[in-house]
Amino acid sequence: MKTEHELVEILDFIAEYATYLLGSGVHTSRVIRNSQRIGVALGVDVQLSTFQKSTIMTVRDPDSGESMTRVVGIPPLPISFERNSDLSALSWDAFDDHLPLDEIRRRYVELISKPRIDPIFVLLCVGLANASFCRLFGGDWTAMCIVFTSTLVGFAVKQRMQAHGVNHFLIFIVASFMASMCASVALRFDCTSEVAMATSVLFLVPGVPLINGVIDIMEGHILIGFSRLINALLLIVCIAVGLSATLLMVKDSLL
Amino acid sequence: MIALDVFMDACFAAVAAIGFGAISDPPMRAFPRIALLAAVGHSLRFSLMNYAGIDIATASLFAAIVIGMGSLWLGRGIRCPMTALYIPALLPMVPGIYAYKAVFSLFMFMQSLNDPGQGEEFMNSFFLNATVSLSVIIMLAAGATLPIFIFKRRAFSLTRRRPDKQQQ
Repeated sequence: MKTEHELVEILDFIAEYATYLLGSGVHTSRVIRNSQRIGVALGVDVQLSTFQKSTIMTVRDPDSGESMTRVVGIPPLPISFERNSDLSALSWDAFDDHLPLDEIRRRYVELISKPRIDPIFVLLCVGLANASFCRLFGGDWTAMCIVFTSTLVGFAVKQRMQAHGVNHFLIFIVASFMASMCASVALRFDCTSEVAMATSVLFLVPGVPLINGVIDIMEGHILIGFSRLINALLLIVCIAVGLSATLLMVKDSLL
Repeated sequence: MIALDVFMDACFAAVAAIGFGAISDPPMRAFPRIALLAAVGHSLRFSLMNYAGIDIATASLFAAIVIGMGSLWLGRGIRCPMTALYIPALLPMVPGIYAYKAVFSLFMFMQSLNDPGQGEEFMNSFFLNATVSLSVIIMLAAGATLPIFIFKRRAFSLTRRRPDKQQQ
């Protein structure tokens, strides 16, 4: 038997945990499994249904039959596979070791306050990645160097704008415009300029929501799966808008 | 020569996977395995397409199944869920050049509204490229998710501590 106060505390924690996971780009069925696992560890039954922006969840005490429901907003967090792995592992630890709520909460706070990867390191990685991507599509070394540079510019723009909290559609348009504009330098050189232009904006493609959306749909969470896909599609449209702006300027030399 | 081509393809795919993966903040311990999975998957697709004459969507499906199986096998040792390994590994296979061509054709279609013949050509090319990119993305996600359905039990407990470690 749980007192009402205990039940509230459990519900609040699981609500925070589940929305944190959903916000950092974890697919739906994993979030539900993890939350239910923590619920079992704490001796309650957890059910939740989720949408793109909010989650409805109910916690029920099987002994007394008392239940509580909350609607919780999902915070917009950056995608993080590290949080995904760590918090999934936490749910298993809670389940296997029957950790009390205080201990789970302490570990949770510890895990989510771990530092993320250094942005400069990410910037260089993305530059290199996009350059090798250019190579995979048949670009030559000149094109690779140009793509590397333009990705650095585009991604740096994206990072700076994200730090200032600019609307993310705007970020994608501007970053895609800047990157493709820099890559259009390739038209002046004797190289595979079309490949360079095409790959310069590919670092922006929201691959994680796209794949998550298809996973969700396949696992039967069709509504949220489509929401994710449409979200990703909007971002792709923004990339296309930025790219078109460049094409409009340079189309004569492209054809 | 074939071996060298495949090897180069694998190397560049590995770099691409690490770089694009880094955007989504994977755990540091996962990087070598992501690189390995991406290299194996992409070079498999490369070989299937160039030496076996299989089309890009089917080749992507096979490569994605291999990556999914690999993530099931490799995720255990570092307590990572499958998705944390296979999504970054799939990213280099996202058909960017087709997506670009689709956007470019749509753009050119709008520029050639006064010339129906040319416009039709661009519309054709738009549908061709959009279909390829869409089907490849669906094949990638579906193929990599397949092992979750087959090995449910194992896939759901990758982040669980191993029983033998617990006893120590």
